[in-house]
Amino acid sequence: MDTNIGPDEMLIHMGPHHIAQPGPFRLNVKLKGETVQDSDVEMGFIHKGIEKILESKTYLQGIPVVDRACYLAALTNEEAFVGCVEKLAGIEPTERSQYIRVIVEELSRIQSHLLGYGEYTEFIGFMTMFFYPMTVREKILDLLEMTTGARITHSYLRFGGVRDDLPEGFEAKCKEAFALLRRGLEEWGELMKSDTIYRERTVGVGVLTPDTAKEMGVTGPPLRATGVDFDIRKDEPYLVYDDLDFKVCTETAGDVYARIWVRVAEIYESMYIIEQALDQMPSGPLFPENLPYDRRAPVMRVPEGEVFHRVEDPRGEMGMYMVSDGSDKPYRVKIRGPVFPTMQAMPPLIKDSQLADVVAIVGSLDPCVSEADR
Amino acid sequence: MLEVPANIYPWLKGIVGLVLIGALFGFGMFAIWVERKLSADIQERHGPNRVGPRGIFQLVADAIKLFTKEEIIPAKVDRILYISAPIVILLSVFLMLVAIPVGAVYVNGTEYVLAATQMDISILYIEAVSAIAIIGTFVLGYGQNNKYAMMGTFRNFAQMVGYEIPLGLTIVSVAIMSGTLDVVGIVHAQDRIWYAFLQPIGFIVFFIAMMIDMGRLPFDQNEGEEELQAGVFTEYSSMRFGLGFFAEYFHLILGSFLIALLFLGGWNVPGFVTDNTVLGVILPTVVLVTKATLVMAFIIMMRWAVPRYRIDQVVDLSWKKLLPFSLLNLGWAIALGLYLGV
Repeated sequence: MDTNIGPDEMLIHMGPHHIAQPGPFRLNVKLKGETVQDSDVEMGFIHKGIEKILESKTYLQGIPVVDRACYLAALTNEEAFVGCVEKLAGIEPTERSQYIRVIVEELSRIQSHLLGYGEYTEFIGFMTMFFYPMTVREKILDLLEMTTGARITHSYLRFGGVRDDLPEGFEAKCKEAFALLRRGLEEWGELMKSDTIYRERTVGVGVLTPDTAKEMGVTGPPLRATGVDFDIRKDEPYLVYDDLDFKVCTETAGDVYARIWVRVAEIYESMYIIEQALDQMPSGPLFPENLPYDRRAPVMRVPEGEVFHRVEDPRGEMGMYMVSDGSDKPYRVKIRGPVFPTMQAMPPLIKDSQLADVVAIVGSLDPCVSEADR
Repeated sequence: MLEVPANIYPWLKGIVGLVLIGALFGFGMFAIWVERKLSADIQERHGPNRVGPRGIFQLVADAIKLFTKEEIIPAKVDRILYISAPIVILLSVFLMLVAIPVGAVYVNGTEYVLAATQMDISILYIEAVSAIAIIGTFVLGYGQNNKYAMMGTFRNFAQMVGYEIPLGLTIVSVAIMSGTLDVVGIVHAQDRIWYAFLQPIGFIVFFIAMMIDMGRLPFDQNEGEEELQAGVFTEYSSMRFGLGFFAEYFHLILGSFLIALLFLGGWNVPGFVTDNTVLGVILPTVVLVTKATLVMAFIIMMRWAVPRYRIDQVVDLSWKKLLPFSLLNLGWAIALGLYLGV
């Protein structure tokens, strides 16, 4: 960005500690009046060096580390990491544990979208709508806690399976929570659709075109809101997504309004997926018989090779590229997260919009800065 | 029968003036408590519930906190402006308070209005002094040497240019229909029917314009929490922040009183006249305060039920909707006034 400013222009920075930001990053904005002339994104305030840390940890020790990449998508991060190792070592998880993985990952998607939905409404000054999704999100987190023992960083997935089976009474609690969530979503949907101010603030604001989105590498709900039906669960199925019936939720407008509705529709789809998975789930062991490692002393050597495995994160495409040199630690792990590309789409998106819309647009992209910085 | 000495009125005025300031602070704290409780109710929370019964003493705790906090004055502010700005804003509120009647006392069939001063152009005066607040806001934004605060000030100006004219025009419509610029006269003119029913458009326009004036949520762009940190109050801390905070609530209260006085019949209950001494002393004030509190509660609930407008949309609303409708209402008031012969 050109930092020379004219007489009627103003440079303003939003962040790294700004109220309307999901995490520390800086948005330098050049304003003319209230209109954004130019902007750039500065990142790296919470670089944790996760890729480097992974090189000095054994494969199993790596699982809790990838959890910390994004606190809202811990399970999908694990899935990408574990999937890489399974591909390299040639382990096929048992069917039951695949179903369990689908269930917990979809639960994790629901809670992430609920937070995104709530946070976003708060950004446009609708404080009340923040509390409603958060109340129901607690119930979803309870389900996750019941299964994995943790609410945010689960370290639940293992190579070839999952740590524990689903607890007793999970299905009943799930139904209860979903009934609550369905009723809530309907109510909030009514509230938002009928609100004139909400529509005026969101319809036609921050329009992302499919071409720009593809150029920037944007994936997930922001891409699907532009009408591109790209979903790795459908296009490159992993786990048992092939056997499950679900549709890819898209909208065509590509504006803030559409992005929010894609998330809401995805919550419905996730619930549908979980209900199917609970019905279809076979009984059986959690781990295959010929595990190449001992579960009590979990050190394993993974054959040499390189592999790329990607999964559908709540925010888009989460891929990991792993190189193994045959030792018990990965030689190199490269994380291709969904948020970094989404964040580079911010400057073109907020150009020529109003200052108040900057917040709305950034919020609707639902970026997880922790994951972008890694 | 109660004998009232003839020279009691000046004394009453003085006492009322003193009591009013105290009452405003008390009512302001009550308003904050109502706001916190109502918002908690709407958001499925409990709100303050630890300090005292139903958390009512939370306000005392908050006030002590505001008073005892260290005041941080940033290095490069314009000190004089920085220090005086909240006082100017509060001053405008107190100047408004001077002319607003908060009730009436009927003794022996004579009406004593509970106002610090009574003038025959009081509504014009209130409208004029409420505009002083904008000078305070400008000083506030300018003195802080902060971009967010400056943006907030500019937004406030944009709002003010928009809402002042519709607000003035609706007041003129009311004055035309009642034939007086005195708030007390306007209240008396509503003996039979409230102006909210005679001028529904004017009522709505006045209500919205008043909400922009108060800076309540769909129109609180000057604070615009999400994009401008704390807007005009970004660099303030401690009690100086508290003054601005209180001024906002005082504005809310006085605005609610104005709405109740101009459009909801003030201390009148239509068709209810009493000779009872005790009722005559108590009832009018209770009626007015109840009306104002209900209006206030409505405005507070409004804050938690809608998102915030963008500043250009507020300007749009003011110029393209409020202004034409207020002109329409002016015509309506003249026509209806002629027809009714008032």
